[in-house]
Amino acid sequence: MKRILLATITLVGISAAAFSQTINWRSFDANQKQVIGIETGWNYGLVFGASYGRRLPAHLPVLVNVHYSFPSGKNLLDDFKIKGGLQIEVWRARGFSATLKANGIFRRFENPYARFVNFGSAFSAVAGYYRPKWFVAGVAGFDKAIATHIRHGAAYLDNVPGAQDGWYVPTGGNFNFGMQAGISGRKTEVFLDLGRVVTQDFKTTPFIPFYANLGVNRRF
Amino acid sequence: MFRIFCFSLLLGALISGCKKELSLDEPGALVPKTVDKDPSLPSIPVAGTQFHAETFGNPNDPIIVVLHGGPGSDYRYLLNCKAFADEGYFVVFYDQRGSGLSKRHNKSDYKIDIMENDLDAVIDYYRKSPDQKVFLLGHSWGAMLATAYINAHPEKIAGAILGEPGGFIWQDVQDYVGRAQDFKLLGETLNNATYLDQFITGHADDHAILDYKFNLWAASDDATDSPIGNEGPLPFWRGGAMVNRTMFELADQEGFDWVSNLHNFTTKVLFVYSANNKAYGEAHARKVSSAYPNVQLFKTEDAGHDMFSFPRGWQHFFPTGLQYFNALK
Repeated sequence: MKRILLATITLVGISAAAFSQTINWRSFDANQKQVIGIETGWNYGLVFGASYGRRLPAHLPVLVNVHYSFPSGKNLLDDFKIKGGLQIEVWRARGFSATLKANGIFRRFENPYARFVNFGSAFSAVAGYYRPKWFVAGVAGFDKAIATHIRHGAAYLDNVPGAQDGWYVPTGGNFNFGMQAGISGRKTEVFLDLGRVVTQDFKTTPFIPFYANLGVNRRF
Repeated sequence: MFRIFCFSLLLGALISGCKKELSLDEPGALVPKTVDKDPSLPSIPVAGTQFHAETFGNPNDPIIVVLHGGPGSDYRYLLNCKAFADEGYFVVFYDQRGSGLSKRHNKSDYKIDIMENDLDAVIDYYRKSPDQKVFLLGHSWGAMLATAYINAHPEKIAGAILGEPGGFIWQDVQDYVGRAQDFKLLGETLNNATYLDQFITGHADDHAILDYKFNLWAASDDATDSPIGNEGPLPFWRGGAMVNRTMFELADQEGFDWVSNLHNFTTKVLFVYSANNKAYGEAHARKVSSAYPNVQLFKTEDAGHDMFSFPRGWQHFFPTGLQYFNALK
């Protein structure tokens, strides 16, 4: 139980402070402190999302952000994901740049057999070439499902009466590797994020082993 | 920041005040124990493994071996077939290798023809004499397995009822599965099958975790946008994720052809399909069943793919099924 406590403190702390928006650091002008975005694509489901980010006055470029997404389906409120975190540009040389991202995740999923509520975390590194009007970068990340509360419905318990409800720790993790690219205007950015997902054992994959997100950001 | 810290502590304390944390791979926590872990379950030791198995009826009566689908499902959804025991048949149910409550096996233990050899061993286990007739009743993958067995041993089988086998050659199976899993991109079913992958993942040998996810995916079978037309969710014990995945991989790599010797099986086969399975239909039924020289096609009205499991389909099918077996008894 200590692990859950520690994980929760860490994750909620990060979440409350912070997202993992795809941005172009070089396209921000001095007066642009905030960025809002919408996106859609495949990310463990056909998802739709919205995000908000704010630059912090710091020695290194830092953006804190929150992101909400939900998958398509008949029931739009039963499944969702909230990510909160920060991204820091840790290195820059000429047009090249490297950014580290850390996010806390709270997500929910329900099907006719069970309901899942999960606290997780996601860490990623982005490195690429950034110009004021475009960028292209490689991404590597890890999404850890740290603690998941499972509550089984009557339909599952009819089949498996001994199934246990409660907190399961840990419950999984997936690595992602991909590319992202975008075109930036004075205030607006269009980006594409795509790549592959593999399970943490590097031997198995999710049902659909890739992700692809198309989004638009607006800076102000 | 202080408020965030306090909120985090409070939330953590709330969670820690609940029951102790559980582990996904704890035996019996998410999926039932298998026969090698729970001695109270009925089982038979054959073919170098341990099958969860039950029988109904007089052991000296003609045998009906019931073969479930999947691969990886279990026989719980076919228990209506017990009714044949009251009509003078010895009905044998078993969960196939790695399926249901039968013992799990690692990926390397599976081969395309191993299920066929297992069936042969199960028949030998129950058959009292060479004169005792053996019938097969297979559903979906079970009907494919029945055909693979008949193709290899036509002389051992006195008749067969086949319920919507995907196909007897790999291409036909691929065509059918493609149609059966044609879920709407914006639908809840696809989401239910894929969104879970970020909550729970299992290593290649984490059987319980993989089986649990397989069980949860079964919820898609009765979804409103599923084309297979079932009346509701199927009852089950445990889905065998490893055997399901491995058999599909092997079929994809090696292919199979279970029709080469079927011309030697001249006994009439009762080939059953359903009115509500939009992915199957009469055209596919005719195409697949044409591999047999002597076929009676039967359309189960008011039923979907699992026509033997739900009341309306079963009531419609049973008189015809019984008449078929009685004619060959």
